[in-house]
Amino acid sequence: MMQDTGKNIIIAGVGGQGILLFSNLLSKFYLKLGYELKISDVIGLGQRGGGVESHFRYSTKPVLSPFIKAGDVDYLISFEQTEALRHLHSLKEEGVIFSSTYELTSTSVNTRLQNDLAESKMEIINRTENKKFIIDPEKHKSSEFDISKMMNIFMLGYYTEFRGYSHDEMIQIVKESVPAKFIEGNLKAYEKGAAVAREELVTA
Amino acid sequence: MKTGNENAGMKMMNGNEAIARGAYEAGVKVAAGYPGTPSTEVMDYTHHYYPEIYCEWATNEKVAVEVAIGASFAGHRSLALMKTVGLHVAADALGGAAGSQINGGLVLVVSDDVGRIAGDDYNDCRHYGNMFNIPVLEPSDSQEAKDFMVRAFEISEAYSTPVILKPTSVTCKTTSKVVFDNDYKYEAKYRNIYPISFSKVIMTTIMTKAKGSEHPKLTKCFNDFVANMRRLAVDSNESELNRLELNGKKIGIITAGTPYYYAKEVLPDASFLKLGLVNPLPAKLIRELEAHVDQLYVIEDGHDVIEKNIKDLGVSVIGKELWPKFPDMMRFTPDVIEEKLVPDAPKRTPMKDVPFRLPVACAGCSHNFISRILKQHKIKAAADVTCGLIGCFPHMESYQLQKCMGSSPGLAHGYNLATDNKEKFVAMIGDGGFWATGINGLLNLVFNDSQSTLIIVDNNCLAMTGGQHIASSDFGFNYKQENRLDIAKMCEAIGVTDVVTVDAYAYEELEQSILNAVNAKTNSVVIVKKPCVTKFKLPKETPFCIDQEACIKCRKCINVGCLAIESKTKNGEVEIVINEDICTGCGLCSTVCPTEAIKN
Repeated sequence: MMQDTGKNIIIAGVGGQGILLFSNLLSKFYLKLGYELKISDVIGLGQRGGGVESHFRYSTKPVLSPFIKAGDVDYLISFEQTEALRHLHSLKEEGVIFSSTYELTSTSVNTRLQNDLAESKMEIINRTENKKFIIDPEKHKSSEFDISKMMNIFMLGYYTEFRGYSHDEMIQIVKESVPAKFIEGNLKAYEKGAAVAREELVTA
Repeated sequence: MKTGNENAGMKMMNGNEAIARGAYEAGVKVAAGYPGTPSTEVMDYTHHYYPEIYCEWATNEKVAVEVAIGASFAGHRSLALMKTVGLHVAADALGGAAGSQINGGLVLVVSDDVGRIAGDDYNDCRHYGNMFNIPVLEPSDSQEAKDFMVRAFEISEAYSTPVILKPTSVTCKTTSKVVFDNDYKYEAKYRNIYPISFSKVIMTTIMTKAKGSEHPKLTKCFNDFVANMRRLAVDSNESELNRLELNGKKIGIITAGTPYYYAKEVLPDASFLKLGLVNPLPAKLIRELEAHVDQLYVIEDGHDVIEKNIKDLGVSVIGKELWPKFPDMMRFTPDVIEEKLVPDAPKRTPMKDVPFRLPVACAGCSHNFISRILKQHKIKAAADVTCGLIGCFPHMESYQLQKCMGSSPGLAHGYNLATDNKEKFVAMIGDGGFWATGINGLLNLVFNDSQSTLIIVDNNCLAMTGGQHIASSDFGFNYKQENRLDIAKMCEAIGVTDVVTVDAYAYEELEQSILNAVNAKTNSVVIVKKPCVTKFKLPKETPFCIDQEACIKCRKCINVGCLAIESKTKNGEVEIVINEDICTGCGLCSTVCPTEAIKN
């Protein structure tokens, strides 16, 4: 059943983007498939808006290190462009980037304690030789769901489509895990993410 | 708890949840603690899942340890929870219990922030194992976190000693599989064999002077703690807590905690001594590994505690000479092990100059109002350990002094004494820090006739660690309205001359209250009230926005320190904008704008 022996995924972004929920939902999915898992959350100093990263590893064999060694990352899923840059060096040659174009300007740049990178961050990401899928949340704004809060579930639909997994099973996990009043919006976000991925994969 | 039977349950747990499960399986009756990242959730999980266990957030870590010691003396297994910085506060209490008679098992769960992921000082609680001569256990994953909890209580009783279980910021926040016994039925374990338990000061006075006596009044005070630990050191060679994995003969690694897994992944063929019990050390196993390999290495997060203890045994190991500790290295990773021990490994370096994220307060935080007023009026002030310490960072520059939790009243008093009250140095403290230890500083400045001012930020919880309740909160595990303590009444009762309470958002009144207090020639307290915006999800007002025509880009609003205000560059043009998803509409930024460009 399991031809895929496992993957190493870094999920990155800033506080408040629902990164931990994203990795939690993914863990339930892979657990159902019978994989061994280790998920390590790194939540840095700072209140809202600090960097957050989750090292997500699933494997047919027991997972040893909770952290993924640089060079061993199969998928980098980033909800914020600056945070994507911090992990580019960790990708395998055949590793894939999924990144939102959303940017929360670093406080050190806001306050002019540090210069921002001279080059556009998206250009740096686009220049990498890795396969990449860039998602601009502005383009997918909808009256049916708040993409600024539900980008995580949008990305879950996108990722599920990309991996060719069963949407029914993933949606079931979303339904079981998200508070009742948010289910409807989240399912819309999920479906939108899956639909956008479907289009991208045809042209890719 | 031994598992593997057909009724084994399985759940994905992070280290904190696994420790709570371990406490439950150990039959703990009383759990007392003080919140501290990364292990705060141990108490939350215990309280949520296991109502059989009495839980309390104590006023501070020292009190928590004392509560646990009392419950342990009564014969019940008890747990005290804190982070390492908290154990500094509680060290005197632990010293009192170390080496004394233990009835019900006594375990301290003390988390180290390895890698300074949560931003703590670079501490290591294992030093207390050496100093007080008590056992320290270090789990590597969630399964061990649960299993070691049970073992920690068994060791505490078998060797009559308090035990430290040390998780880290990595074990606490890593989720992995935990197998447990589905048939387990909770039972509060009870053991009461000692009629007395005194600190070593009393005990050793009698033991050394009355050595050899057989009088029961004297012998009941005898507790040979040195022999107990020697016995544990011998037994540790046979303990399943420590595991010798003899493989290749070139490299031998002595390790504990998650670094075991980093090293195992990078060096699958090496020989290992994986320690679960890191104090006392299994000398026989160490020598066995030494004899098996060409070169011994020690790989441990935190300080070089195991390394020094191994060297004390006369065994030569390589550790910090290869991997220098803080600030050269924050924590071990698979990468740094590979770099030094796998010669041909490809080197990967992170991209340079990616901007870092300075901590900022949540939008709408009452601390930003105080920081702003202090800076505007050039009032010198000490911050405390509170969300308000963000005002110390260089974009805000609202405070000149900041040390440990509860320190600010003492710091301000000392400064004002030394400067003959000419500068009116002010102290700011959170409500958590006030009740924890700051109240002692206030008592001190009152009866020593100080003219200092203390600003107490009352946000109804311990905000920094996620909103746990404190003495003045209107909620909590054991909350009763009639037992709620009132900060203003407390200040009045201890004799503060001038106590005022203001709403944080009443900007002009707050400004005036602080100025009045600072200018008075008496001691004074200003209590600034506003529930924590994040914990209590305060309703949002209409978000503010910046009129780009009127904005002169002076960035005064950015230096208010609010997360919602950003500098954006579009087509080479800089714009200062307010992120309307984050803005709470508190309006503080509009008070600093010289051109009135910020409106709602």
